Amino acid sequence: MNGQKSENGKQQKKPSLQQALKKSSLAFWAMTPLLLGVIGLVGLFQVLVTPKILASLFRGTAIVDTLIGTLAGGTAAGNPVVSYLLGGELLGQGISLYAVSAFILSWVTLGFIHLPAEAEVLGFAFTLYRNILAFVFTMIIAVLTSLTMQALV
Amino acid sequence: MKGEKPFAFRGKFLILLVFAAYIALFLFNSHTALLALQNSARIVLKILPIFAFVIVLTALLNYVLQPKQIIKHLGKKSGAKGWLVALLAGVISHGPMYAWYPMIEDLRSHGLRDGLIVVFFYARAIKLPLLPLMIDYFGVSFTLILSFYILIGSLIQGWILEEVEQRSR
Repeated sequence: MNGQKSENGKQQKKPSLQQALKKSSLAFWAMTPLLLGVIGLVGLFQVLVTPKILASLFRGTAIVDTLIGTLAGGTAAGNPVVSYLLGGELLGQGISLYAVSAFILSWVTLGFIHLPAEAEVLGFAFTLYRNILAFVFTMIIAVLTSLTMQALV
Repeated sequence: MKGEKPFAFRGKFLILLVFAAYIALFLFNSHTALLALQNSARIVLKILPIFAFVIVLTALLNYVLQPKQIIKHLGKKSGAKGWLVALLAGVISHGPMYAWYPMIEDLRSHGLRDGLIVVFFYARAIKLPLLPLMIDYFGVSFTLILSFYILIGSLIQGWILEEVEQRSR
């Protein structure tokens, strides 16, 4: 069958691969300023929010550091490998596993600098809910991981 | 084509704001501004293949799957299969989160449920190519436990979001 009925009962013609490619390329092209804006912000944050600055934020208190770790990871930008390197260093400096877990997890799950783009594409309410959930769950998962590790040792 | 949105660039305000930030930084500290610009250029070059992949994948999904099929597999009544697909897609997807926005937006317009988007984005915390490095830094136990909680946490977040959305309607 070449097409199928839509919800209103009209026959929908299946797009050719060329048409589908053109459509997705156009949609992507329309989003170029948004994506370049985010990339520009990432470039800026990588220079302005250095690993040294991030490491200096931790205070040595497990609860406060878990919150700081989540916020710092969400603010940071760049390859997750950097968060592992930094996380390893922080552990060596005596920072709790709670905080380090929160830090490396929020590095990849939260992106404060992506927020404007995410809200533009997926809507403000969705972005708000998703990021609040990700923020809370990052801390919960960090605590659970550390507690499970302690129980196993 | 009828029913399709007219073409318009998105994020014009954001890019103007970022441009202004670069100009301001350049006036105060040109060296830092150039470093930031170099970083951004490097990121663009690095994720160009991912962008190309996302464009082709979106086109293929539109070509292979009809809207009805997308609703069936990833829509409101997709059931356990939908959650599993979102979880797996999140784990195997590569590159930064924002590279996937165009595809997610397209699938969403065809009926992809919001809970699955949340699952997809959070499950991306498991980076398959980086697992050996994580094991090297933090150990096997830590990596396995964290990955397990990420998977469970992703599903719970997706479920909570759908409950919240349902109640706020």
